[in-house]
Amino acid sequence: MAAAGAISANAPARRNAERVPWFDWMALPTVAVLAVVIGYPVAYTLVLSTKKYNLLDMAPAKFIGGANYSRLFSDPVFWHSLGNTAIYTFGSVVVASLLGLALALLTESLTGWRFRTARMLLLTPWAVPFVVVAFLFRYMYLQNGGVINAVLLDLGIIDRPVLWLNNSALALPSIMVANVWAMTPFFFLLLSAALAAIPSEVIESARIDKAGTWSMVYHIKLPFLRGALFISSLLMIISNFNDFAKIWAMSQGGPGYSTTTLVVYVYRLAFEKFDFGYASAIGVVWLALLLIFAVVYLRALRVNT
Amino acid sequence: MKGGVANGGPRRFTPGRAAQYLAIAFGLFWSLAPVYWMLATSFKTELEATRIDPTLLPVDPTFANYIGLGGQSLPFFAFFFNSIVSCLLTAAIAVIIATPAAYALSRARFRLRGATGYAILLFRMLPLVVMLAPLYLLLLNLHLLDSIGGLVVGFTTFGLPFAVWMMKSFIDAVPIEIEEAARVDGYPRWQILLRVVTPLVMPGILTTATFVFMEAWNNLIYPLTFMTTMEKQTLPAALVLTFTGQFKTDWGGMMAAATITTLPLMIAFFAVQRSMVRGLTSGAVAGA
Repeated sequence: MAAAGAISANAPARRNAERVPWFDWMALPTVAVLAVVIGYPVAYTLVLSTKKYNLLDMAPAKFIGGANYSRLFSDPVFWHSLGNTAIYTFGSVVVASLLGLALALLTESLTGWRFRTARMLLLTPWAVPFVVVAFLFRYMYLQNGGVINAVLLDLGIIDRPVLWLNNSALALPSIMVANVWAMTPFFFLLLSAALAAIPSEVIESARIDKAGTWSMVYHIKLPFLRGALFISSLLMIISNFNDFAKIWAMSQGGPGYSTTTLVVYVYRLAFEKFDFGYASAIGVVWLALLLIFAVVYLRALRVNT
Repeated sequence: MKGGVANGGPRRFTPGRAAQYLAIAFGLFWSLAPVYWMLATSFKTELEATRIDPTLLPVDPTFANYIGLGGQSLPFFAFFFNSIVSCLLTAAIAVIIATPAAYALSRARFRLRGATGYAILLFRMLPLVVMLAPLYLLLLNLHLLDSIGGLVVGFTTFGLPFAVWMMKSFIDAVPIEIEEAARVDGYPRWQILLRVVTPLVMPGILTTATFVFMEAWNNLIYPLTFMTTMEKQTLPAALVLTFTGQFKTDWGGMMAAATITTLPLMIAFFAVQRSMVRGLTSGAVAGA
């Protein structure tokens, strides 16, 4: 890849004689900054997770070993939040990627300024800030005066206004709808680009073989899209694990704990109860889960492409 | 040129094609209706915004909601200014620091190259909230809490790793032969980067900066935790914090504020959306 380019710049004879340095000073500023703003906090989180440290107790941090971790295993809210995080993340990503895929396939063949404009407009939700998405949907979900209830009532689908965000069974799916709305353009954009990159000879030869629309999509196009789907899903899974803005601005994790994901739970522990020690332990466990997930996913990606 | 998805020729109108157009129309409706609703509501009076039978168009269009943002108890211009400054600073700093690193990862040979690349990719995946408590304590000790500087430090945690990977993919795309002449002339590497490579990847730099800007603009958790003075808040955090107060029932005002919050992001997004795809896709793969 790029390394090959760098090597070819040197004369082959010199290549072996030359000593390969350990580090390149050009990467130093980045590494130094990241060491301070990320390396240090992560290391400190590990330390904090073994301590009893509450900013409200005026007492200094006290080492308590694995106590925070054993507390975590018997904490039902932790497990509930973990489950909510999984449902929120994978549910939204699966639906949004399918919608994005459908839109990409639908608009692929269309040319001309009308459809170029349509494609641009389909991207609009991505340019709406998360907090705005949250308040916009919160407004549309209102019990009285919310447009969603009004339309569903008019159509006769429901017979009385639904409390979308105040019902513990409906709150999480309702937030996921807003999330899917905001995320679909990302998949649409990346999958459209991947579709455009399929060599036209492949499409042509399939057409000569009289491949129908569905077999063309299923046998020819989808295999080409696998890499793009994998990567875009990974990016969105990571960003959804971290999603705080939409959930916090729509429900603050409620009602009860019905929409509390790990981010919301850790935030509440750290900045409402100021229980930094326990919040850090959850952070560490979560970090481990995320790393395992990322490694498995990246390995699967490499096998697949 | 690509052929049609439907079986017929490109111009023939078939049931399949009708279904395709219908589906696209539905997609457009799904994407645009909420944005339209935000805009329409921002021109409605407080009373009209929460009518039981919502009106499609503002019956009595008013700019009062926008004017109200400027002249009320809440310093909306200050919020806007804080957001713009902190996000622009983050974008600029991230790109300036990231570009040499991206160049090194793309071109240079050094033993820790693979390790550095992986570390930066992993940093990109870190859950922000894991770093929240220590970062808070760090900023507290540096007396950077409640300042734009502290906010920029926070935004850098996700902006910088991202910028490195995106810039690397843009630099990877520049053929190395272009640097040959400068190398033969004996220019030092930083000069080659500055004079030869940087001008070539300028679109990439702008795209990366825009992307970092957008991510910072979207971020809520850092301003919410690091800023304590209301006047120093960013726009998204201010929306959340004021919601319980000023906007509790005033959805027209809320939607006007939301529209203002959306505008800079919308402009930035449509300015670079073309080259965004390339940076995103190749950046993600190059890391693996």
